[in-house]
Amino acid sequence: MAKKNKPKTLDNEDDGGAEEEEPDFSDPEDFVEEITEEELLGDLLRQKPKETDGVESVIIVDGVPSVGAERLEKLKNVVRKIFKEYGTLLNEFYPMNEEGKTKGYIFLEFKDRAAAEEAVRQRNNYKLDKQHTFLCNLFTDFDKYENIPDEFVAPTPQPYKDLGNMSFYLLDENCFDQFSIICDGGTTTAIYLNSVPEAVEIAKRERWTETYVRWSPRGTYLATFHGKGIALWGGEEFHQVQKYSHLGVQFIDFSPCEKYIVTFSQHVDQRSEEPQSIIIWDVRSGQKKRAFNAEKPPVWPVFKWSNDDKYFARIGEDMLSVYETPSFGLLDKKSIKVMGIKDFSWSPTDNILAYWIAEDKDVPAKVSLVSIPSREEIRTKNLFNVADCKMHWQKCGDYLCVKVARYAKAKREKNEVKYSGIYYNFEIFHMREKGIPVDSLEIKESIQAFAWEPVNNKFGIISGEPPSVNVTFFQVNKGQAPSELKKLEKRPCNNLFWSPQGQFVVLAGLRNMSGALEFIDTKDFQVMMSTEHFMATDIEWDPTGRYVASCVSWWGHKVDNAYWLWSFQGKILKRQNVEKLCQLLWRPRPPALITSQDIKDIKKNMKKYAANFEVQDKMRYSKASREIIEKRQKQMSTFTEYRKKMNDMFEEDKENRLRLRDGQDTDTLTSNENDFEEETVEFLVKKDTVIVDE
Amino acid sequence: MKPLMLQGHERSITKILFNREGDLLFSASKDPKPNVWYSINGERLGTYDGHSGAVWSIDIKWDSSLFITGSADQTMRIWDVETGSSLANLEMKTSVRGVNFSYSGTMIAYTTDKMMGHNSELSIVDVREPNNVDATPIMKTQVTPSNAKALSVLWGPLDEYVVTGHEDGCIIKWDMRTGKKMEVGQEHTKQIKDMQLSHDGMMLITASKDSTARLWDLATLEPLKVYKTDRPVNSAAVSPLVDTYPHVVLGGGQEAMDVTTTSSRIGKFDARFFHLVFEDEFARVKGHFGPINSISFHPNGRGYASGGEDGYVRVHVFDDAYYQFKFDF
Repeated sequence: MAKKNKPKTLDNEDDGGAEEEEPDFSDPEDFVEEITEEELLGDLLRQKPKETDGVESVIIVDGVPSVGAERLEKLKNVVRKIFKEYGTLLNEFYPMNEEGKTKGYIFLEFKDRAAAEEAVRQRNNYKLDKQHTFLCNLFTDFDKYENIPDEFVAPTPQPYKDLGNMSFYLLDENCFDQFSIICDGGTTTAIYLNSVPEAVEIAKRERWTETYVRWSPRGTYLATFHGKGIALWGGEEFHQVQKYSHLGVQFIDFSPCEKYIVTFSQHVDQRSEEPQSIIIWDVRSGQKKRAFNAEKPPVWPVFKWSNDDKYFARIGEDMLSVYETPSFGLLDKKSIKVMGIKDFSWSPTDNILAYWIAEDKDVPAKVSLVSIPSREEIRTKNLFNVADCKMHWQKCGDYLCVKVARYAKAKREKNEVKYSGIYYNFEIFHMREKGIPVDSLEIKESIQAFAWEPVNNKFGIISGEPPSVNVTFFQVNKGQAPSELKKLEKRPCNNLFWSPQGQFVVLAGLRNMSGALEFIDTKDFQVMMSTEHFMATDIEWDPTGRYVASCVSWWGHKVDNAYWLWSFQGKILKRQNVEKLCQLLWRPRPPALITSQDIKDIKKNMKKYAANFEVQDKMRYSKASREIIEKRQKQMSTFTEYRKKMNDMFEEDKENRLRLRDGQDTDTLTSNENDFEEETVEFLVKKDTVIVDE
Repeated sequence: MKPLMLQGHERSITKILFNREGDLLFSASKDPKPNVWYSINGERLGTYDGHSGAVWSIDIKWDSSLFITGSADQTMRIWDVETGSSLANLEMKTSVRGVNFSYSGTMIAYTTDKMMGHNSELSIVDVREPNNVDATPIMKTQVTPSNAKALSVLWGPLDEYVVTGHEDGCIIKWDMRTGKKMEVGQEHTKQIKDMQLSHDGMMLITASKDSTARLWDLATLEPLKVYKTDRPVNSAAVSPLVDTYPHVVLGGGQEAMDVTTTSSRIGKFDARFFHLVFEDEFARVKGHFGPINSISFHPNGRGYASGGEDGYVRVHVFDDAYYQFKFDF
């Protein structure tokens, strides 16, 4: 450690104690620094000049002919010729042996590291003639390899850190869910338990995050964003679990099983030659697994994960690169060549990739399903007149819907293609049926939104041009074309949100549609509630499908920031104003472990359970109202006491008041009979028009 | 019941006020002519003509003989209520922001703006001879620069002290004889828009731009209650029937300058009724289409009046439902 305690006597010699003693800033003798320098100024330490900085542009060339002084100049010329194309040689050194001959290796210094590296790369193994082959190395490499011990020393295992029970939040006996909110314009982050009847604050911290927060997909971790990187929080007390140092991080993405986290930053340190834009980390150990460069600006997420964290893939020019874990290398060491690939996605439940290829002259567009790792194409479908495709997987992986925007006419202008007469097709792939049959559905209107029911086989679309917007629900059947279930016409909405458990859906007219909300049961398409949260910007279902939160976020609207909680039937439960509320996120839950048979049984015996829960709820509410009543009684008795005191004081002062107002008693309106005078006031009782006969 | 709509001002209402008996209702606006009305039928009795600027503040003597106005034309005028003639015209160096009669009606306290190098001041003049007022204050104290600008001013119950409400949200109690600060109440975070006393002068209610109104014990300036809304509060009043119907009414709404940029629906120009003790809102009355600038209970506690940025004064009489409503406790 650089810090040293100065001997105290040194500066006290000749001030004679005239001045006041300065406060002592030195640490006491036995002080042990708790914060390491790495933690304190890690970013600065990384910029600290290294001894090798000066020599990194030096290379060593071995295998140079050994010559005497008389031929040295000639050799130098040859060498210069060979290396000059990589940059100016600043220095050259030909070591001599005792006989005055060169030793057979030389040192060359280039103007910078890049030039030196390029020279090594290009001129290593350069054949000068039959006997002489140049072996080029960076000077710094010698240092590097010299320091590697000959014997393998197994790394010492890190001590196990007990993080406590990370699934603590799932142990809540009432199965209340948690949610996070960011308020005060971003400075405060808080976690609440959505308990009945009032939400309970679990944690609240100032400046917990610098921008926003994200929950991991199974809810184990809360990720906060900082200038220096990402921090993960979890456990009972929301302590810091792990941190990932990535300067200027902007986006993150968790793998579905929470094993890995991908971070992205635009910040690039020119001094480092490693890629730094995208880093994949091991969540538990905090270890950097692999880093990648990103094209600018990237479409996030750049990497998409397979459902089991085994594979991740990114799209490249005419290719699809699939990587595997835990090696983090390319699957089968090569990318899949796909000419004209536009987009791809993973099935949420199987290791199947879907991608689509744009039209190219006479070759039609194509949607393909590929099984990974076999790379076997399990289904393809050719499509014509395609302007664009969007892929939507149903959450259970049963269906894939490809929304195809098709054109009637395409006009080529310079390099741009302009489409007109756009209409839409839904191509629905039945993943679970033999041969993966594909159904088509054509919609003439423009599509505003599409959403699968997360379970089951329904989907809803919002189509048409605002303000006359229609909502249509379809059902996909085995071996049949999709059937229209219900069309709701002229609805004030632009988004639809399915309950995570299916069946119930919220139609919302967010932002410029002023927050109209409709709660619909898709079993019989009954509109359970038609209501409004004025200027709502976000709708969030809780992970169990029991509650819906509607928010007016400060990011979207500057006043009336609030979140409102609704039951899934659209009953308002709570209106909570929050100063500059930015974001509300429910804490996700991992997939339920109970079998479908169990779920069936529970549904069958619902009445029995429901009665139980109702009793519990009633008790909670009566307890709460009892608390309110008690509080009010206390307030009332305090106030009555206060008023009594005041009234007594008022009576005491009566004489003074009379004196100030010439002996007139004005304490009540009727206390002075002489005040009253009779007055006539006219009222307009009614207006009547009578036509008088002439 | 349908409220009376009093339409007599050309610009937004700044202040409304009942006389002690409640038969007369006075209103002032940003136009220079304060009005007086019969509160029972909304008939206008007359106007007080003479000012040449917005009238910020008005007050009425307890015996309804004198009416005073403080104006942006840098004058304070004393009027004969009955004839509408101006008895005195006191010229100041800056706008007059708050005016208030003492309990006895023999003194007026007023505050002036900080403007053009002049400090905001709190002054008291003797008006025992309303036809021959000596404009030299019997007490004067500089409010600025040691405090923020004073806006409203109220007398304590026995002519002993005055309370001022300030631009930074504090309220200050001053000894009337010495001009010294006695007490400071620092609870509000933004400008005090209005202050009113309870009918017995024991409690003070303050309305603030920080979206709250607060109830204070006047003698000690101890905060008693807070009433929270989501919009700036421009005015607040305590029901005269405080011991049977412990209610307060708050008026306010989104500031006029912000309303035009957003939808009018989010302005929230309702009069809001709160339970004085429990601090819970229990009723709203809508009607104004701009923020309420001044609100007041009728002295008999059976109705209230509100004056708005929209230029209207609305006089309401409570329905039976108002008296029947009770909180559980």
